[in-house]
Amino acid sequence: MSSHREAPEISKDPVADNTDVYAFRSPDRPDTVTILANFIPLQQADGGPNFYEFGDDVRYEIHVINRSDRRSGVTYQFRFTTEITNPDTFLYNTGPISSIHDHVHWTRPQFYSVRRITHDGHHAHESELLADHLACPPVNVGVRSTPDYASTFTSAAVHSIGSGRKVFAGQRAEAFHVDLGSIFDLGTLRPFQNLHLIPSAAAVGVNGSQALNVHAIALQVPLTDLTRGGHEPVDINAPASVIGVYASASRRRATIRHHGGNDFDSGPFVQVSRLGNPLFNEVIVPMSDKDRWNAVPPSADDEFVKYVAHPELAELLPVLYPSVFPNLAAYTKVRADLIAILLTGIPSGVVKGFQNFTGAKPADLLRLNLAVPPATSPNKFGILGGDLAGYPNGRRITDDIVAIELRAVAGATIPLVDPSFTADAAAALLTDGTVDSNGRLLNTFPYLATPNSGSEVRPGVPAT
Amino acid sequence: MSAPTRRGFLALAGTGAAAVGLAGVAPAVAVADVKTAHVPDASGPLVAYLADMAHDEVRLLVGEREVTVHDRDLAARLARAAHSS
Repeated sequence: MSSHREAPEISKDPVADNTDVYAFRSPDRPDTVTILANFIPLQQADGGPNFYEFGDDVRYEIHVINRSDRRSGVTYQFRFTTEITNPDTFLYNTGPISSIHDHVHWTRPQFYSVRRITHDGHHAHESELLADHLACPPVNVGVRSTPDYASTFTSAAVHSIGSGRKVFAGQRAEAFHVDLGSIFDLGTLRPFQNLHLIPSAAAVGVNGSQALNVHAIALQVPLTDLTRGGHEPVDINAPASVIGVYASASRRRATIRHHGGNDFDSGPFVQVSRLGNPLFNEVIVPMSDKDRWNAVPPSADDEFVKYVAHPELAELLPVLYPSVFPNLAAYTKVRADLIAILLTGIPSGVVKGFQNFTGAKPADLLRLNLAVPPATSPNKFGILGGDLAGYPNGRRITDDIVAIELRAVAGATIPLVDPSFTADAAAALLTDGTVDSNGRLLNTFPYLATPNSGSEVRPGVPAT
Repeated sequence: MSAPTRRGFLALAGTGAAAVGLAGVAPAVAVADVKTAHVPDASGPLVAYLADMAHDEVRLLVGEREVTVHDRDLAARLARAAHSS
């Protein structure tokens, strides 16, 4: 949920709201990349009788940039179709759903197609339908409706679609952890709230996303599926080893509503949501520009550089936590460190033995150097923790994004580009006080945990 | 109702003037005027809206395509139709 409800308009359209994007070399299949794009935030597991599902009227896309002009190199497009198998019931299921193909008891199954499009500049160069009518799993209704959910539905909904590619689309447990309630209460970090401008006793962070679900589109493809010209990424220093990733959701230009149904959509698809780096639109872009940011492609991000160069949050931290960030408060230079992390990639020479630079033209992309192998002992602080396989080199599910980005914004990464700056001691300690109390991740694709069960979960407590 | 309704258009509310109709029964005006713009699929519903009256810009939504035409007569007819009912 690094980008859930992050802009005024998309907060009213959750089906199209992109909440997180992850991109990493698959630890169990290191010759492949896994990209996860999550949508529909803050799902209550017991959200029946009309449970959550992808939008049939939304076009979901995962874009991979492997070109120097920041335009898509490869796009994977996902379109969904919902079927009603029993028009005479109000129930999502009329008995225990025994498999993803049990359309006797499951009254509202959903299916999807996957298309791969390669781009040549502005235009689609080649479009290939990789698969059609792939089955989504049902949501995790509960022990009677979707018994043995993990073993019955997860692997059955992982589809091999040829050329070493796998896809999954359906409900999973939220994997992001954040003290949502406290952070947006004037930037309160519970472990440090005794130091806040409006102080109270320090407390343990509360994981606001615990026990919630999302809808995930998961894609696993060979490395060479994503590189330009099928380049084999073996050299960390080679520009061609770096890709940029973002996901988007689009709706048709017009919707015409009629009394009594028969509504229809018309015109081309228009982007309404996008996401590359976690928290970019949420905490970097100001309210007045958030909707616009969602509507334009990363190649148009020049206009948002000013918000990264002088981020509002970096100015707020010394105000909200008086005397804690004196060096940050005095720093008035352009934040070249954040521009590198979020908009251009990190050039060679900044972090020893690493680069994910994609050129000087700014674009909010999740950049992944494919030549960096998966870590044998991942560090949740990623590159800040000395682990080159973690954020901001792509993003793994276990990377502690809130802590990493808080520390970066607070100045921990300034010395990488400006050795004259000494980061405040607090910058290296910042956290929202939460730990990962979400469901247990899987060791294999799609990695995200079994969705919380509607009949078992209690608010704030995961089902298992 | 207005003339465009007789031609199969329905006036819609909006910042400019807009219209929607079934292409199969209607758009004698619209299709005739945009035939050079190569409307790819006129078998389904067609939505037209006056995007910029000052520049006589009419946009037609057909399937997943959007066709922009600059047609003073069409723009004027749509504008009149939107205010005639």
